[in-house]
Amino acid sequence: MATERYSFSLTTFSPSGKLVQIEYALAAVAAGAPAVGIKAKDGVVLATEKKHKSILVEEHSIIKVEMITDHIGMVYSGMGPDYRLLVRQARKVAQQYFRTYLETIPTTQLVQRLAAIMQEYTQSGGVRPFGVSLLICGWDTDRPYLFQCDPSGAYFPWKATAMGKNFINGKTFLEKRYNEDLELDDAVHTAILTLKESFEGQMSSDNIEIGICNAKGFRRLTPAEVQDYLANIA
Amino acid sequence: MALEMMMSGPDYMRDPRKHQFSPYANNGGTSVAIAGDDFVMIASDTRLSRGFNIFSREQDKVFPLTPKTMMASSGCWADVLTLNKVLQARLTMYSHEHHDMMSTTAVAQLLSTMLYWRRFFPYYVSNILAGIDEEGKGVVYHYDPVGHMEKLTFSATGESVSQIQPLLDNQIGGLNMLGVKPPTMTKDLARQLIHDAFVSAAERDINTGDGIIIHTITKDGKTEETVKLRRD
Repeated sequence: MATERYSFSLTTFSPSGKLVQIEYALAAVAAGAPAVGIKAKDGVVLATEKKHKSILVEEHSIIKVEMITDHIGMVYSGMGPDYRLLVRQARKVAQQYFRTYLETIPTTQLVQRLAAIMQEYTQSGGVRPFGVSLLICGWDTDRPYLFQCDPSGAYFPWKATAMGKNFINGKTFLEKRYNEDLELDDAVHTAILTLKESFEGQMSSDNIEIGICNAKGFRRLTPAEVQDYLANIA
Repeated sequence: MALEMMMSGPDYMRDPRKHQFSPYANNGGTSVAIAGDDFVMIASDTRLSRGFNIFSREQDKVFPLTPKTMMASSGCWADVLTLNKVLQARLTMYSHEHHDMMSTTAVAQLLSTMLYWRRFFPYYVSNILAGIDEEGKGVVYHYDPVGHMEKLTFSATGESVSQIQPLLDNQIGGLNMLGVKPPTMTKDLARQLIHDAFVSAAERDINTGDGIIIHTITKDGKTEETVKLRRD
């Protein structure tokens, strides 16, 4: 939070009309681990690479694909610590909404509120923008939702998208592979293939994380389920 | 007589020893709501008073909130008006953000939290919320001034609650009688019960009278009916 000395915004316009801090934040995102989201007819899949820097890392203690409510999940590309903060804030927003309306928060409402928080950090004193882009998936009103939230506070609804390292190739791959009739199983399969495009080394259930969201709600796939999908593409 | 003057008279008659400003006034009013399988009926008397003075004989105390929800409020009329105004603003903000109107259950919860926010300087208002829920069934919510909320199928509140609630408990809830099944609720039965309950209350309670307005909500819309009560 800003001390009294920093009541001015650190994010300021450049002469060309850009907010350079946001550009740099997007660069931090583009340097982060790849994340993919695909919307199917009957659900949404989120997938991310979870490569650890050393074999000494306790890999099962790190969770990247997080649940926000029963029916909303989230993943990111970029800076992990910034992401953790946003997960906490998203969960709080969802519970406050439930406390006020006794109804589960619609995905669109959560996305709008989270994006508004991210925007605040581009126009407040003494703070920097978040160094993450979020992929938010949800299920309400009998249909799937997939949104991306950027460091600027902009949000985009997607049918399928990729973020992080190699995202341009990822998106090109998805443009070819995506169609409106995908079922959730196919979408998971396609998500794994998209991640594989930029993956160095052997994919296993330890170094990727997958979450799905359908009418039954959001959940992470177990390592065994991930292994089943991986076996199908080998 | 002295007690009356103490409780409800002007400040200087309240207690000869000191003047104390009270932010609250009791403007009377009684409300009843009854829910059925596909409708809900909510009614209030139309007398606005303070002590032995009558301010209006034709004050409707039922406020529409959405096409499917209405609320009846009585007590301190200043707080009733403000609570309604603030609630309407919240409803409008919700519909702007959601591109959809609030469901009855969401309004019910919102009202509860709004009332509790003022826990330490409460809205001196007795509320009943009545509406059609997402499944098309009628539903009634009863509140206390600080937001305690109960979902019910029938309820009374206000000055004559002691006269009317036991009557409803007995006639709709089948309480305090042996071997009697509660009836299936129909619009005619609900209307008749509301009418009879208010007429009886007007006989015995000096604060209730002048008239009642009965509002009915179904999925097809709202209707209202005015009934006269004794004016003494």
